[in-house]
Order: sequence, then C-alpha cells, then structure tokens
Amino acid sequence: MKRITILTGHYGSGKSEIAVNLAVQEHTDMLVDLDIINPYFRSRSVRALLESHGVEVAESTLENAAGSDLPFISPKGSRPFVSRDLRAVYDLGGTKHGAKIMMQYRDIIKDPDNIDFLVVININRMETDSAEKIIHVIEDLEATSQLRVTGLINNANMLEYTDEQTIRDGEAVLKDVEAKTGIPIVMTFVETHVKTTGSFAGETRPLTRYLAEHWL
Amino acid sequence: MAKVLMKGNEAMALAAIKGGCDAFFGYPITPQNEVPEYLSYHMKENNRVFVQAESEVAAINMVYGAAGAGARVLTSSSSPGIALKQEGISYMAGSELPAVIINVMRGGPGLGGIQPSQGDYNQVTRGGGNGDYHVLSFGPETLQETVDLVRHAFDLADYYRNPVMIAVDGLIGQMMEPVDLDNKIASMDLPTKEWASNGKSGERGRLNKIVSLHLDPYDLEKHNLKLKKKYDEMVEKEQRYELINTDDADIVIVAYGTVARVARSTVKTLREEGIKVGILRPISLWPFPEKAFEKLPESVHSLLTVEMSLGQMHQDVRIVNEGKRNLAFYGRAGGVVPEADEIADEVRKLVKGANA
Repeated sequence: MKRITILTGHYGSGKSEIAVNLAVQEHTDMLVDLDIINPYFRSRSVRALLESHGVEVAESTLENAAGSDLPFISPKGSRPFVSRDLRAVYDLGGTKHGAKIMMQYRDIIKDPDNIDFLVVININRMETDSAEKIIHVIEDLEATSQLRVTGLINNANMLEYTDEQTIRDGEAVLKDVEAKTGIPIVMTFVETHVKTTGSFAGETRPLTRYLAEHWL
Repeated sequence: MAKVLMKGNEAMALAAIKGGCDAFFGYPITPQNEVPEYLSYHMKENNRVFVQAESEVAAINMVYGAAGAGARVLTSSSSPGIALKQEGISYMAGSELPAVIINVMRGGPGLGGIQPSQGDYNQVTRGGGNGDYHVLSFGPETLQETVDLVRHAFDLADYYRNPVMIAVDGLIGQMMEPVDLDNKIASMDLPTKEWASNGKSGERGRLNKIVSLHLDPYDLEKHNLKLKKKYDEMVEKEQRYELINTDDADIVIVAYGTVARVARSTVKTLREEGIKVGILRPISLWPFPEKAFEKLPESVHSLLTVEMSLGQMHQDVRIVNEGKRNLAFYGRAGGVVPEADEIADEVRKLVKGANA
C-alpha cells in the first residue's frame, strides 16, 4: 500500500468500510473522513476503534458532532500531504460530488508517486453493474477530483448473500474495465464469512463489518 | 430481476417507479435526500414528472393537484417536513385523493436532529391535520419489506382513494441491503379513475370537482360517514403484523421497524438463557394490528413495548391490552437506537420472580 490511499466510488460501494479495514489492517497514522454526502455509517463513527489501533481520525471541524451533516472539513486533513512521514487513508463521500472535495488539496499534493487514488466498485450496485457504467463513473470521479484513478478495488460483497462466485463475478467485470482502461485491479475484499479457494486479482484482503451493527 | 444491493432511500425511490408512480413532488431534507436525488435522474429517464418544489407546503399541494388529475403521485420527506405537509394530507383525505408519502423519520420535536427516530408515531397514526380522517400507514423492518410495501402502496392508495404513508426511521433509509425489486406482490383490480378532474368533461358529459369543502353540515356529516366506512374497511382488511417466537412465549416484545431488528438479537440471546420471549411486530401502524394481540397464547403474561420514542406506540398497546396483561415500556429517543442487551435487561426484569 502506498503512503496515502484515497478511496472514492459510487455511494454504497463500501468505501467507508474498506477505509476502516485498511486503516486497522495497516495501522496507518491517520484516517481522514471527508464524507460530506452521507449523514450515517461514516468512518468517523468508529473513532474509538480506530484510536485503539493508533489511528488518528480527522473529520469535521465540529469534532464528535455525529449528528451533523454540515460540510465542514478539518484542516488536519491536509497534514498527510504536507508531512511526508504520515501514512493515511482518505475516505471520500460518494459520487463525483463527494470526490470534488479533493480539489482543495490540488496545490499541496507534491508527492504524487506515493499516492493511490482507488475506486471501490461493487458490481451489485445498479450504477456500477457493467464495464461501461464503471468507466463512466471513473471519468466523472476524475473530472471532479482532478486526480487520475490509479487502481480498482473489487468489493462485490452482498452481506449474507456473498459467496466466492459473487466475488468472481465482480472480478470478471473489473477485468474488462482493466483491459479497456489500463487501470489495474489492486485489491479484492472478501467478507470474513466467505469460504474461498484460490486467489483473486490484486491483493486479497478480509473485510470485517465495522460500521454496521450486527443486526443490520 | 436478481437481488441488487441498494440503500433504503434509493430502493424506495426505485420501488415507486416500479409501482407506477407518474409524478414526484418534494423538497430536500436529511435523512431522505437520496429519494429525490434518485428520482431526479430516473423519473425523467422513464418519461415521468419530477419537481423539486420551493417548499414542503408547495410540494404537497402539487401532489394534491396531480392526484386530482388522476396521476399516481409520490412525495417524500422527513419528520419536520412531514409536519409541514399535514394540512395538505388532511385536504387529500377530505377530497379522497390517493397519494403515497414516504416519511424517513428523524429525531424531534421541532427541527430535532438527523439521526434515526420513531418519534413520528403519533404524527403518522393520528395525523397532524384537522378533521376525522386516517392515513393508512406502514412501518416496515427490512428493505425487501419496504420496497414491496412502497410498490403495493400505490394500489392501496388508489383503491381507498386515500393517502398511504410508509414510515421508516432514518436507519432503514440509510442502510444497505440486497433487494429484489420484482418480488411478487399482491396486485389489486382497480377501476379507472372516473372521478379524476383531467380535462375530459366533454367526453364524460359532466364536470368532476375535487373539493374538501362541504358547507352544509348534513352534507359534510354524510361525507364524514362515507370516509368512516373506508377507514372501517381498512381496519378490517389492512392490519399487518408478524409474530416471532410467540407460540410458547411468556413475555412478548412489541416493536416495529429498526427496533424489531434489534429485538431479534435480544430474543436469540434470551432464548439461549431459557427465557421464553417473542416479538409482536406491527407492520401496519394505522390500523394498529389489534388482531395480532388476540393471537398471542395465554402463556404470555407480560408485554414490553420498545420504541425509538417515549411511549407513543405504547398508548396503542395499552388500549388493545385492556388491562389484561402486565405492561412495560422501554424507549430511546433523539436518534439513539436501543441496544440488544438494553432490551434484554428490560425483559429479564419481567421474568416472574426475578425482582420479587
């Protein structure tokens, strides 16, 4: 994983769950929650868990205001772009509107080789269920964020309905995207309850559900 | 269609399109914004009408107009926005206009907060508008149940010529779950809308008027009794509920929506401890499912109402119970969701002899 990983995608693609999983698995220094789209299920809601893994959480200027959906962004969010010893995961809000927020960092991103801008794709979402739609989403995200997408994350999980085939179906569509755009599949996330044989494209990582309560 | 992964709000929006919704009028408010957002793209693609009105009051009156012209109409909002729409809803009930209203509930009163709540129970089941009327209303638990009800709600609204409300808390609006939008649901045989005011009086040979004004008191009373007959039919035919693990139960939790989901965990834990507990889950909020209480076995000595509000549904439980069983209540408010173990502690207090 590069020093900075920025996660984007359609809303409901699983960005926040993956952001939390990556921060916990990699013990990053920071998780920057830049979600100004969604009022619920944000990565900042598991601040205590992240802090227990040594991950500092940057979110709204109104810290701990879980009940707020005001689009305030903490200035702490820019630190990893400036301090080159900080490892961080960035969790953007969904769609191109959520990705637009990256524009504010355009002038301080001076270390592009150490930054990954990854699109999380769940092919079970109707907006990203074909290569054509995914390529369209990628173009939108690049246009509003002014960043080049450097990799794809296959997150074809369907909660209790996930099995190995679900993940393989996601991989097949993303392979097509990879062939058409040259953007590689860099990671595959698999829910912890799924039994798998063999490997998947990119790095295979377990996905633990941190944000949704077990009864959801 | 196979199962797809959807967020509650967008699933309800797509379900409305599948349910034959011709027009949507609404105004943004958290936590239901994905409903209008989704429809703003997809109604147009399906050659239907989408209008973001200048306010909730404007939106509900646009709903009134379009429903009066015979269209299948939807509006959606969240608690304080629904409060603003109450006048229009009363007018629609009075004018016998069908419409579907989605209410994604948040904490109150007033502006309250944006986290999930069931604090609109009274607003949903008693209505905030004037006069003798009711809104047929449902409080589903899963996204599948929610989308099935949204689709069916358009038929029910047309059948009864009355507003139908789908009331979910913010969590159901925001959560993700796999759903099948083409799940088989009951279809109703509906007559054409001969009453609609659609500019075709020439063909019809008479003018259709959509009014709720009846200045002659005897006339109005006749109209009130006609409406009452419809509400009696709803009470008879539309009570919906689910009984979960109640066959051998000593204690039954009464809970709907998200709280019922949490209570399922509670029941699992307590059953492992040997406590015989079940759930009575209202699906229709109005009419309140009184019939479900008649089906509980004699072994049930206590009912525990759990709500994300402070005893609103509990009043209905008390009315139905008529002093028969021991009653208890547990509620969280303001956007706080009760935890499974909090509910378990309340149930343990009701185990006979536990707190003697």
